[in-house]
Amino acid sequence: MGSIVAPIVSCIVGGGLAVATLMGVVTSQTSAPEQSPGNIQSPDFNYGITAE
Amino acid sequence: MVGRVGAALARGRVPARATLWPAAWSLLLAVLLLGGALGHGYVLSYDMVWVPDLALGRDALGTGTALPRAVPSDAVVAVLDEVLGGMLLQKLVLLVPLVAVGAGAAALAGRGTPARLVAATVAVWNPFVVERLAIGHWPLLIGYGVLPWVLLAATSWRTSGTLPARVPLLLLLGSLSATTGLVSAVALLAGAGTSRARRWWAMGALVLVANLPWLAAGLLHAADATSSATGADVFAPSHEGLLPAPLTFLSLGGIWNAGVVPPTRTGVLGVVATVALLVLAGTGAVRGWSRVPEPLRRPLVACWAVGLGLTLATWAAPAATGWLASTVPGAGLLRDGSRALALAAPLAAVLAGRGAAAVVGLLPDALSRAMIAFACAVAPVALMPDAALGLAGRLSAVDYPTSYVALADALPALPPGDAVLLPFASYRAPDWNDGGRPVLAPLGRYLPRRVVVEDRLVVDGRAIAGEDPRATTVREALAAPTSAGRAAGLRAAGIRLLVVEDLPGHPVPDVTGREVWRGGDLRVVDLGAGRAVPGPPRAWTLVMGASWAAWCALPLLGGVLVVRRSRSKSSR
Repeated sequence: MGSIVAPIVSCIVGGGLAVATLMGVVTSQTSAPEQSPGNIQSPDFNYGITAE
Repeated sequence: MVGRVGAALARGRVPARATLWPAAWSLLLAVLLLGGALGHGYVLSYDMVWVPDLALGRDALGTGTALPRAVPSDAVVAVLDEVLGGMLLQKLVLLVPLVAVGAGAAALAGRGTPARLVAATVAVWNPFVVERLAIGHWPLLIGYGVLPWVLLAATSWRTSGTLPARVPLLLLLGSLSATTGLVSAVALLAGAGTSRARRWWAMGALVLVANLPWLAAGLLHAADATSSATGADVFAPSHEGLLPAPLTFLSLGGIWNAGVVPPTRTGVLGVVATVALLVLAGTGAVRGWSRVPEPLRRPLVACWAVGLGLTLATWAAPAATGWLASTVPGAGLLRDGSRALALAAPLAAVLAGRGAAAVVGLLPDALSRAMIAFACAVAPVALMPDAALGLAGRLSAVDYPTSYVALADALPALPPGDAVLLPFASYRAPDWNDGGRPVLAPLGRYLPRRVVVEDRLVVDGRAIAGEDPRATTVREALAAPTSAGRAAGLRAAGIRLLVVEDLPGHPVPDVTGREVWRGGDLRVVDLGAGRAVPGPPRAWTLVMGASWAAWCALPLLGGVLVVRRSRSKSSR
């Protein structure tokens, strides 16, 4: 029983986490520049932007 | 049931084996999180400005004209960077609190490796840490790192009746800013509070002395200590992406500034991560609460309730917060209310850890248990991967331009007197700072001279009034219609030098004066001798001197306790 559970569990959980991580990396690399603190361009030296 | 380790934890004493592996795991996570921030150079991001050698000036000591926002943190940095240098000190300040909070959360979680490792991960890798790192609130993160240890030590005080010698030092480290001092005070009171009045007097005295420098300086500046009501609205805790605000706060996010929120928090992954955390924590509350050392349960819940309650209150009633901030001196501390979420993190981490342990315990074989435990321990990282490697490169360390170094070297030979930094704006986004990362004007701290900088903030294009009366005087002088009038106004404000940064797209007003130095994108203009600026009143110097003396004596109390106890042990 245990020898069946382990591979199934590992596939489901590992696969889910891998997909989530991939999604996260893609999200962060394709997000709008305004959301990146490293890319805020403002003539007024904006300290920050509030959420809409 | 709790066993030997659990019994030790119940007394608030932490066995080394409870923290060794979690500390190593937390170190790994912290290095992964900080990434390029640990490289050569300085991390300059929003409020985080570190320089090679910070001067121990009047503002750092609390006797300047500005509100004591960086008291006592700047004074501590100014002293320690004489020994370690600003660069190394900054690396330690960023790294050590993350390791400490991970190891501390593991110690709070009770027995079992899965519970400890998951608690450590949740404590290190969460939106609160990531967002506060990005906005540069390093004193808050030091207080956050100390928090679990304050809880453990305070609980030990309550259960044993003996003041642990480490409490004074922990409180000192946990009180490097006003907000952090309040967070540490809540943790101490929650952990050590009993029905005995004497205990409350002792706790009150310790908290008072640990927070004395900023408290005393704040009282001396009470006339200017009210803040803009607009700020309370702008700095109110906020929802993130798809998450409603209360769920955002429950998952330890909610900073006001959308510019520092990791992109994954604003999408589906943010929802998945929140649900995962809440499910694990809920499981931990139902099936693992009995395995949390009993003396720690009340303090954990009390801290969580205060932290979440304050955040919800400042989110739900920004008008009330604004009224308080603009009416009651010092109530501006309530702005940016999501800082209080530091108090909610220990319980969230402990419950997630206990929940993971409960899930792992349901599995039939060792391999499955190991894999699920590992999955739970890495899930926070997998669900917020853009926090890795210095927030995906946003915390990379940079070198200061050579013009900064040259000006700092040349400044002692230039005419004496206070300086003003132009453009007169509190923040910069210079190209040399990782392509334009916003940062509080670094020259104000870099130069070994009193530099008056703008303290008005601009958020969403709206200006939020500052509190430094001298900055207001300089702003008014710069608004004069003629260059000679501006120079005269600045001299009347006690300003001798203008330090002008050439920033594309940001013209500066003409001010009559003689250029005395130029290098790269910087130039210095001598306006002529300005009006002598009086020093702080004698009473201020005396009050702050006494405050600093008491504050410095606090760690000595810990040393005295250690010596007395070791003597009494050896005499038995």
